[in-house]
Formats: sequence, C-alpha cells, structure tokens
Amino acid sequence: MTLSLAALPKGHEFVETRIKLTSEWVAGYVRSVEDDAIGSVVEFGFPPLALAACSIRALLDQAALPDGAIHVGQELSFSLNRDTESEGVARARVASRGERQGWVLMGIELSVESESGAVMMSGRATITFPVSGGPAG
Amino acid sequence: MSQWTEEMRTYRVGDVLPSVTKTITQAKINRYAEASGDHNPLHLDPAFAATTPFGGTIAHGMLVLAYVSEMMTAAFGPAWLRGGRFKVRFRGAARPGDRVTASGRIVRDEGGKIFCDVECRNQADELLVSGDGEVGIR
Repeated sequence: MTLSLAALPKGHEFVETRIKLTSEWVAGYVRSVEDDAIGSVVEFGFPPLALAACSIRALLDQAALPDGAIHVGQELSFSLNRDTESEGVARARVASRGERQGWVLMGIELSVESESGAVMMSGRATITFPVSGGPAG
Repeated sequence: MSQWTEEMRTYRVGDVLPSVTKTITQAKINRYAEASGDHNPLHLDPAFAATTPFGGTIAHGMLVLAYVSEMMTAAFGPAWLRGGRFKVRFRGAARPGDRVTASGRIVRDEGGKIFCDVECRNQADELLVSGDGEVGIR
C-alpha cells in the first residue's frame, strides 16, 4: 500500500529514485501536452517539463497525493543541453508543512541530477489538501 | 516544424511573446494523468470532483504549465532549455471545454538575462496561472 503524502512530516526525504525518460514515454508526454515547439529544438530530446513530470511520477510511486489535492504553486529551473542524458536520479523532501483553516499547505523540493552529477532540474511544488487527507469540500 | 535558429531573434523590453492557445478536454486530462502518473480523482472522476469546491474535474496544473513552457521554447529556443527558470502561482482552474491561452511579455533585460511576466487565461479572461520566467540568451 502506497503511503499518502498527507502522512509525511516536514523534513521527510523521499528515497532517491533513478528515472529514465524513454523515447516511448517522452512521445506520450509530448502528445499529452501537445507541445508543438519542442520539435524545433530537435537536439534536445525532451521538453523541460517532461523531466519534472517524470520525477513527480517517481515520487507518486512512493507517496500518493491525497484525493482532492490542489497544486497551488511551482518553481522550476532546468539546465539541459544537447548532451543531457535521459536518465537521472530524482531526490525530494518535504521542505515545509503547515495547517490553516482545515487545509494542509505543503512545499516539496525536488531535483534531478544526471549520472555525471550535473543538476538537470530543481524546483519546489506547493500543494494543499484537506487536513483529513480525504475529499476536498 | 522548422529548426529553431537563434540568428533571427532579437528581444526588447516590452516585447510580447507569441501566445500559445489550447483547448482543454477530459481526454487530454486523462492522457496527461497517464503520462504523469497523477491520478488524483479531482482530475479524472466527475462524481468525485462534483463534491469539491470546483464542482467538476479540472486540468492538472502541470498540464497548463506545459503551455507556458511551450511558449517559452517557441520564443527562446535552446536558451530556454539550457537555463530556463520560472515561478508561478495557480490562480484558477482550467476545466474541460476551456480554451487556455499562455502569454508573456519581456519586462527586463539584465545583460542578456531576460525576465518575463507569464500568465494563462481562459476564454472568459479569467486568470489561471501567473508568474515570472527567466532565461539567459547570451
């Protein structure tokens, strides 16, 4: 049974996860977001947000979003180049957690490093969900 | 799509970036859920979503944000992927049937580091996403 994010305290560190952006997965991602621009920079194998989506996917394998969770903010920076590998190591931690008026506000820092140790992406997601961890509203 | 070429681009403060417009559908939301692994019923289950303050399913924030990234890729090409950054707040929900437009404007140039205001609005001009982006072009 996957843990719920709702159960995680501030400071919780997710288990490092190796991620791989396979060409099949990237094609599915690009179709889903209908990115018409990425084809113009063909030396890059994937859109930057594909890396974010893939790393978030890996995190959700460790801790599921509570039903009704809402994404309220996102910071992201990325450093890709034509040699950027399509594999990396995703790391994440619960950087902040607070409660207000029955809702939890949680900040999650995440990063992806290449096999050679270069930071490919880093950022912070802010989400909110009911204190009960159950349905919103 | 033709190859992006840096030579043909110039950037000035005040320039409006070419906007990107997409129509949200439940099928697209479902496809994004499949790719991202985010199966939150708020996005996928109309019965569940009807019990929330949204009253129905909404698109993933990262799906809407991908439209901003597409706009930045179209405007700045490889520079956006080499060293782009953004910080946004999700202000409103994008729902199936919504026509979402990502737009942006250059507000500052600090020696080749370009700063932009970015946002997404729906067909009713309601603000869905707002924030800023940054890209080094030299």
